[in-house]
Amino acid sequence: MRMLLAVALLLALLPFGLPPYAMTLLTEALIMGLFAMSLDLMVGYARLISFGHAAAYGLGAYTCGNILLHTDIPLPFAVLLAGLFSGIVAIGVAWVCTQATGVSFSMLTLAFAQLLYAVAFKWTPVTGASDGLAGIPRSPGPFGVTWFATKSGFYYLTMACLIGGFLFARALVRSPFGAVLRGIRENEAKTLSLGYNTRLYKIAVVAASYMLGGLAGALYAPFAGFANTELLFWLLSGQVLIMVIVGGTGTLVGPILGAVFFLFVQQQLSTYTDSWALFFGVIFIGFVLFAPEGILGLARRWTRAH
Amino acid sequence: MTGLNRRTLLSAAAAAPVVLRHARGETPIKIGMPLALTGPSGEIGQQMRHGAEFWLKEVNAAGGLLGRQVALQIEDTTGDPATCVRKAQEVVERDGCKLLFGMVLSSEALAVVPKLAEWNAIFMSSDNGDGRLTGSSFVPNFFRANISGPMETRVISLWLREGQMKKFFALGMDYAWGHNSIGVFKDEVTKAGKTFLGDVYSPIGTKDFSTYITKIRQSGADGCFLVLQGDDNAAFLSQAHEYRLSDRVQLITSIVDLNSIHAVGDAAIGLAGSTRYVATIDNPANKAFVADWQKQFNALPDVFEGEQYQACKMLQAGIEAAKSIDAEKLRPALEVATIDSIKGKIAMRACDHQAVQGGYIVKVKKQDGAKYPVPEIIATFPGDKVTPACRQMTFES
Repeated sequence: MRMLLAVALLLALLPFGLPPYAMTLLTEALIMGLFAMSLDLMVGYARLISFGHAAAYGLGAYTCGNILLHTDIPLPFAVLLAGLFSGIVAIGVAWVCTQATGVSFSMLTLAFAQLLYAVAFKWTPVTGASDGLAGIPRSPGPFGVTWFATKSGFYYLTMACLIGGFLFARALVRSPFGAVLRGIRENEAKTLSLGYNTRLYKIAVVAASYMLGGLAGALYAPFAGFANTELLFWLLSGQVLIMVIVGGTGTLVGPILGAVFFLFVQQQLSTYTDSWALFFGVIFIGFVLFAPEGILGLARRWTRAH
Repeated sequence: MTGLNRRTLLSAAAAAPVVLRHARGETPIKIGMPLALTGPSGEIGQQMRHGAEFWLKEVNAAGGLLGRQVALQIEDTTGDPATCVRKAQEVVERDGCKLLFGMVLSSEALAVVPKLAEWNAIFMSSDNGDGRLTGSSFVPNFFRANISGPMETRVISLWLREGQMKKFFALGMDYAWGHNSIGVFKDEVTKAGKTFLGDVYSPIGTKDFSTYITKIRQSGADGCFLVLQGDDNAAFLSQAHEYRLSDRVQLITSIVDLNSIHAVGDAAIGLAGSTRYVATIDNPANKAFVADWQKQFNALPDVFEGEQYQACKMLQAGIEAAKSIDAEKLRPALEVATIDSIKGKIAMRACDHQAVQGGYIVKVKKQDGAKYPVPEIIATFPGDKVTPACRQMTFES
């Protein structure tokens, strides 16, 4: 808890003295961190490997974009509503996807994301097709407060969403519900035979994961002022899975670090070479082979050794 | 010469008077240029880059702007609007650019322009065609030096009014520019009392056009209006040639460019259409430009190289009049800027920041001695007939 407070305080103080561009990068890193953490709920705690988590992100982004473009709902509420909507849609998705297990489950999540991608390309009035939604505003309010529209205000909104999301996810995995999830992860047949309806638990965790992932996407839309089909593309699903694995699965904090690390390396490498993804691939292979417990695991190993 | 070498050379050229500059304590004027350098629209991005670099060399050799050297910060967007927004944000916030060029696709420009006010940056377009940029999506910090999609379509329809063709079909790229231009075309031909049979749209990056070609043939049209560019345009033209489509249907394209002609060779013969710029325009400024260009590159400047050069000159005129690159001072100066451009006298319009300019109809013909067929100007229309009313995309008469 003390650790959490220290990190929150550090994040809250960072905007003072940071140049605008660093603020932009930091805000994006926090959004990606929330997105990666949301996937960890599925991957790390219930061993539900999703290849289509971009669906959650894109759903959140398009929903929030449309709310902000077409209504006067204040920015923070629009973001929350879009996250909720993504979670509700996920119940249906999970109901279908959890018919299968293992690789088939992963393939179904991918199929669903690609379906949304194809729909987004055709549903011009809602998604703007290949042009995307441009000029998404940061609507003022509530109570006439315009602070969230500013650079630092938006940063604090993102920070609040990340910390809130983290507390929610942590409470979830520490509860009896989380214990059942871990049971599913270790041995689903055994958990089932203990009398738990494991499918319901899986649907619930997918919904929670999509809700937080949708929240991240919902923040991205007003952050960039723009949303397009890239946000639903499998490339993003792959990247977020890499962030989770590099950061450390089943830790919640690890994937956030993984996202920050990913963006940092991308930022640094891409100034030198256009094929930065090639080099990141090498880093990824290195993690899988030599540090399967990820960045957080490495850090823990290091602190134990000293 | 590769792009990297040219860039190294340019930075060496820019570094030459470095002692002088430091003595006066001045930093170069940096212009950000997010461009699609790779992907289906990469060829256009490369042309825009050439055009801007040509101007840069010229202006720096003459002592720069306001006594400061000028530098370009070029970034690759791959033609994706989301990446474009990110790269534009980078050049503005990280590199401190207050002036922007570039953005190949209209969808990229539409994504970026809402951010210009927050960045306090001016964006001078050299290529974006979508009419909404000077219409419903207008923002005060956006200026369009180039001819827009509705304008090039208007040029074609003015030309078609005089012709014999009665029935038309249209094929466009499935994004902002394609839909916008075909919308205007439909409106124009219907007003001229001709028949518009239908339209189809191909996704960006389409390689196989056979189904589209079949649809065009089956439509029974006399003429087919094409809104394609880059690799898509070249792919379509060569396949249309294989299917002998032009035997039955007159192909009318919204942009005739050398790159597509070079890509498809004789398949381009007979193609008619509007062009935003062509090296054979007859005026002193263009003759000087083409001569310099040929001396440097041993080639004729292509459409987007010429258009980019014109946009650079427009921005230069604004900066020299305002004696500042600050958006608040530059904007009013640009709003009344007039230049003797390579396309003749071009005037920026204050009400929607569209540069008023004429349009050209060219037909691709075989020329003796030339390696490739060449576009020849067959009709010219003046700016007041071609430019729509302020913030409009359609035309009254």
